[in-house]
Amino acid sequence: MQTANMLLKKFVRCSAFSFSIQHGVKQDLFPLSRALILSPCLKEDNSRSYSEKVDLDAWKEVMKSGLREVSETISEPKELSSLAAARETLEMWRLAGRPVPEKLSEEQLKAFMECPSKSAKKKYLKYLHLKELYKKNDKRKMDEKRKRRLETQERASEAEEPKKNPFVCLWASSMDKTYSWRVAQSMIFGQPLVFDMSYEKYMSVREVANAVRQIVLSEGCNRRSVDPFHIHFCNLKDDSLYHKEFIKHYRGAWDRLLITVTDQCYTDIFPKDKLIYLTADSPKVMKTFDHDKIYIVGSMVDKSIKTGVSLAQAKRLGLETAALPLDKYLLWNCGAKNLTLDQMMHVLLTLKDTGDWKKALEFVPKRKYCGFVNKPMHELKKTLDLVNILKLGKRPEVLQKRFADNYSKRLTQK
Amino acid sequence: VQPPERPLCAEEWSRLRESFQSPEIFEEVMLNNMVRYNSPIDVAKSLLTHVAKSNGDIGYNLLVKYLALCVQQGKTSEICDVYDILKIRFKILESGAYNLLIRGLSDSDQWRMALTLLEEVKKVTVPSRSNYEFCIKAAGRHQEMTLACELYHEMLTKDLVPTLDVLQALFDYSRGMKDPALQKVLFGILLYLRENQIYPHKTFMRSIKLWFESIPGENWKGHLTNIKDSGRCPVCNHQLEDSELTEEEYNNLRERIIRDVIHGTDTFRKTSPQEFEAFEAFVENRLPFDIVIDGLNISHIMPRKVQCENLFEAVNWLAKDHARLLVLGRKHMLANSSNWRREIMKEMQNKADFFFAENISEDDAFLLYATLRSGKHCKFVTRDFLRDHKACLSDSMTRHLFRKWQRGHQIAVSPSAGGKHINFLPACSYDCVVQTTGDTWHIPYKDFFEEKYSYQIPRKWLCLQQKY
Repeated sequence: MQTANMLLKKFVRCSAFSFSIQHGVKQDLFPLSRALILSPCLKEDNSRSYSEKVDLDAWKEVMKSGLREVSETISEPKELSSLAAARETLEMWRLAGRPVPEKLSEEQLKAFMECPSKSAKKKYLKYLHLKELYKKNDKRKMDEKRKRRLETQERASEAEEPKKNPFVCLWASSMDKTYSWRVAQSMIFGQPLVFDMSYEKYMSVREVANAVRQIVLSEGCNRRSVDPFHIHFCNLKDDSLYHKEFIKHYRGAWDRLLITVTDQCYTDIFPKDKLIYLTADSPKVMKTFDHDKIYIVGSMVDKSIKTGVSLAQAKRLGLETAALPLDKYLLWNCGAKNLTLDQMMHVLLTLKDTGDWKKALEFVPKRKYCGFVNKPMHELKKTLDLVNILKLGKRPEVLQKRFADNYSKRLTQK
Repeated sequence: VQPPERPLCAEEWSRLRESFQSPEIFEEVMLNNMVRYNSPIDVAKSLLTHVAKSNGDIGYNLLVKYLALCVQQGKTSEICDVYDILKIRFKILESGAYNLLIRGLSDSDQWRMALTLLEEVKKVTVPSRSNYEFCIKAAGRHQEMTLACELYHEMLTKDLVPTLDVLQALFDYSRGMKDPALQKVLFGILLYLRENQIYPHKTFMRSIKLWFESIPGENWKGHLTNIKDSGRCPVCNHQLEDSELTEEEYNNLRERIIRDVIHGTDTFRKTSPQEFEAFEAFVENRLPFDIVIDGLNISHIMPRKVQCENLFEAVNWLAKDHARLLVLGRKHMLANSSNWRREIMKEMQNKADFFFAENISEDDAFLLYATLRSGKHCKFVTRDFLRDHKACLSDSMTRHLFRKWQRGHQIAVSPSAGGKHINFLPACSYDCVVQTTGDTWHIPYKDFFEEKYSYQIPRKWLCLQQKY
């Protein structure tokens, strides 16, 4: 066909002609008129010897001819259900290169359609897309790992030499037994630590899911610590969102967990004067870790920061509050001062074991602070300014303001 | 990579593609760059031809990118061709392609096709405001004002916020027409500006002026002017509306402040029920105040001075004309410290009433309550813009009321000349919105398009009056 095309071109320099000849004038009367308009710009090209060889509109013919028969069956007008139509749109978005997942379940599609705004829809799709990517990546890595393991096994079986080991191999199950023993001990003698589960109404479904994930992580690191806390989940109602998420994570193990779960409030279980509510909004700063007190952590993830919610809760119940001494020990850089629940757990466990603030605050994410406070404040300020100017190229006034926000006047004067 | 300057043949493209670091996205990157460098359309065509010949097909994303290039250069016939191809190959299109098509076609003599495309978009989703914008402008350009107005109204019913550009276009295209229905729509736009407290920028203002002056037989005359603090227009000597709220609006606002700002989802977040009750009782006993002062805010006016002296100076200044003052503060101000000396605090308490909130309570909420409770004449003093409190109000209607009330009742602290003394700017006595009396219009406007701080009010006005 290409050669025929070239031949024809020698006769008629006008692409419209060649076009109509190839396809039959009857069939393509409609595009004919348009191709005629195009011909002048083709003629311009003819001045160049190079582009003479390239038929610039050849792609249109390919696109129009290739799927003609198929398109006739497709373009039959038929009413689509709204779900199918949504699926169709998503497919087009994917083709256009937007972040859209390849596969969508029926529920996800419904959730997508219930999103209140266009931007909410976009966000949800991006979230699903990223989730899909992570999953795919994980699977790929798993496959690679399996392959490598098989290879090493083959090599090992070739070598065939039994190893002798004086120690009994400690498998995960026996480690688990040791951990469980420790946690069981802590349930009798250990220091209580309360997770307050009364924030469901302030959170979206995804925030609750994130909160539960963080609590699961915290529980895990508590279990593996040398001297675990006795964890209490207070205000946890049956069939609440929290509860459902926990079941999803732990499945059968939920009933065998070595923690105390109750729908009572902590004020009903413990004496009020022993309770301390940990919240970043607290005006009081924690000086030392008190082994006789019972610390309460609010199980709340607030992606849009809601200030004062947990402080309000403590105020309502008339409890003492405390915040971690982040500004006293760390040169804060950016980010909110609320930490995730598992970071909080790491900090508290380390404090409990060592009482060393520096060690404990290692668990604050590195991006949030520039370093530990070990020099007088004004010297630190200078280095911080320098670092930031080099790193971000920001003007010093902006930084000064940020610094002033982070550190009260009293601190800088000392 | 910089795209080539002339169309390449197949071998040249494949050579380029192989030299590119990730060949699988070569075409996409190349087309993107063509859009960026605004390459000649033939170059893009030659690339598409190469792709079509080697794959037998061209992906949707490439077609859309090519379409973007065509739209950028206003190649109408190409746009139509791409549209035909897209229609054959795909059952429906996504919004990106529709946006480009509508934009490209609305600019050409094929503009009616943009309208059919708009209908097509409506079947799948709500068209974006820019979709409407291009269609309205196209209709206006071809003097189909009824159609443009219809589209404009349709856009409003779909809760889309029109850009100032569209509004301006409507004024521009109806210049010199004598059509009562159209006039009504344009007056509607002016009222829309009034209700939403939007200020037109200079060029938009000029369009409005020209339109008014072009109405045949009505003899409008426009002047640019500055309005003095008294609120009297120097051109036509008309007194502008004052910024007082009606009784109903006032009560409504007060209730909403108590409900949304002070209580919110949880009274304990800003104060506590006991404290709020105590404050209510305190205010009831001493009503009415003339000026309510945010003590802590004012005490920071001049950072070099001791905080209580700043406040002392402000209280003295404001108490001069025997106004009843209420100062809001926090309990820590009572503890004798270097910043808050007891003697000065004592002396101030003789001149004004003081309420000290808990150290962790928010005093701003109390400020609003006390001012609103005292009545319409009561003003308040703070440098705070109160944006976070406005944001607590749940609907835009109440937010507009709040802004209006704030404009009329907030005494601002002026950036003091020399930094020696505190100066206060009186609250604006007239209301700074688009307003009319039938034969006059007064329209505040901004000098630049970018000025957008919501608390700043324009000082410049367009005065329009009808001469008989």
